[in-house]
Amino acid sequence: MPLTELPHLSIVEAASGLRRKEFSPSELTWACLKRIESIDHKLHSFITVTADLALEQAQKAEQELRAGTDKGPLHGIPIALKDLYATKGIRTTCHSAVLQDWEPDHDAETVTKLHEAGTVLLGKLGMHEFAFGGPSVDAPFPAVRNPWNMAHIPGGSSSGSGAALAAALCFGSLGSDTGGSIRTPSSHCGVVGMKPTYGRVSRYGVVPLSWSLDHAGPMARSVEDCAILLQAIAGYDPKDAASANVPVPDFRSELKNGIKGVRVGVPRINWFNENKGTDPETKTIFDNALKTLESLGAIVVEIDGRPFSIARKANQTILTAEAYAYHEKRFQEAPEKFGSSVRRRMLEGAFLSAADYITALRARTVLNEQIRAYFSAVDIFVTPSAPRPPEAFETMDPNEQNLRPSFTNPFNLTGLPAISLPCGLTKDNLPVGLQIAAPPFEEITVLRVAYTYERATEWHTRRPKL
Amino acid sequence: MAKEITLARLQKMVEQSGLKLTDEEVEKLLPGVNRSQNQVLELREVITDSIEPATAFAASRTEKR
Repeated sequence: MPLTELPHLSIVEAASGLRRKEFSPSELTWACLKRIESIDHKLHSFITVTADLALEQAQKAEQELRAGTDKGPLHGIPIALKDLYATKGIRTTCHSAVLQDWEPDHDAETVTKLHEAGTVLLGKLGMHEFAFGGPSVDAPFPAVRNPWNMAHIPGGSSSGSGAALAAALCFGSLGSDTGGSIRTPSSHCGVVGMKPTYGRVSRYGVVPLSWSLDHAGPMARSVEDCAILLQAIAGYDPKDAASANVPVPDFRSELKNGIKGVRVGVPRINWFNENKGTDPETKTIFDNALKTLESLGAIVVEIDGRPFSIARKANQTILTAEAYAYHEKRFQEAPEKFGSSVRRRMLEGAFLSAADYITALRARTVLNEQIRAYFSAVDIFVTPSAPRPPEAFETMDPNEQNLRPSFTNPFNLTGLPAISLPCGLTKDNLPVGLQIAAPPFEEITVLRVAYTYERATEWHTRRPKL
Repeated sequence: MAKEITLARLQKMVEQSGLKLTDEEVEKLLPGVNRSQNQVLELREVITDSIEPATAFAASRTEKR
């Protein structure tokens, strides 16, 4: 295989090739670095490229594998991280002038775990500033572009992760998700991204946006690759106050078990059936995905979407209040350091009262109970991942985005595991994602349904022409 | 419907919050602040007196960072 083809492999394929000695970790890394050099000046997915470190780690992995020390499927695999994961001695900017020169003195727990799994760190990826707002036009680093069409947004806030994966600049990535920030860029860039259950993956060392809604999770080009990354980063961490001390299953163990008889809840009534901001082409693609799930043996059950619809309001209130609380001192001292988009939206949190915040937390209790009650009638929820395909930078209106339904927010509020995977392309050749969510700590179910759908379709094989 | 926050009232709120924002910025903030207030009103509709907030505090956690 020519070295230039290597970055297009999946993690599973690359891991297999490494063990068959078809290529080495250094060659995989070199191929990714060359591709970053030749393409990323158009995409801007990387803020920092750690080329020397990557080549050094690749060489170490090569020696270890040669000596018979095999750390598992991520050993020698080049990855990249959203730039809010603390990396010891490596600039961690959150895509903001506020932290432009910050070099953490510690690694995030997930970074430590990926290091222990033998991954190779290619660098740090662009995002929405502090994981909030929209693409930053006035941040110190350029906004990330969508590899499917550079004039379009890649979605966020884990924009660089989505774009770098779609462009085959890395094999896997970690994003973070407070209202959809893993699933939206995964949908918009035609890759796979998973928000695990709240508490499944440590948030220690991940710069917070909203403590009670933030989730760390994997992004990759296939469901199985996502499962491999999740396996490496999941588990109890006493350093994270929200970490759940629950057993970690083998996330790949049920991938091939099929979905016969799985009850698929579609919360369409009173939510996205009313055409309030949901793109008709997205709906058609979603309906086709449902037909595929039915053809694979699933049973589709229509359910009332009202609790999901209201969940967004609670999510936004909690998120804005917590985000402002985290940044309050910085806003009082130097508001000009924040970009205009994040500044305007985060400042709304300054004017919510303690009673407003508690009201949202009380609504969270009610909506959580209402949404989880559906699990007596269905096994999973399925929705489109985003209400419309990625918009053009030129015509995008962040204020209008607030008025559309959010299919991702309810699963941050409830903490349920949810994935986005490719389920179609629009007539303009832009990706559309399918979201699958399940009961708490049932990532195995999410992955099984996603894997079964993925293997029955060809959408995950489509790649942007660059 | 919430009583709408006026520009004059928001300017006072900004002063009290310790923020230093330009008049133009305060004006731009106004629609979002009113939207947030209306959202909270809608959320009040779904709760009853017996509902407690979903907080994450657990007294049993003793390990330190």
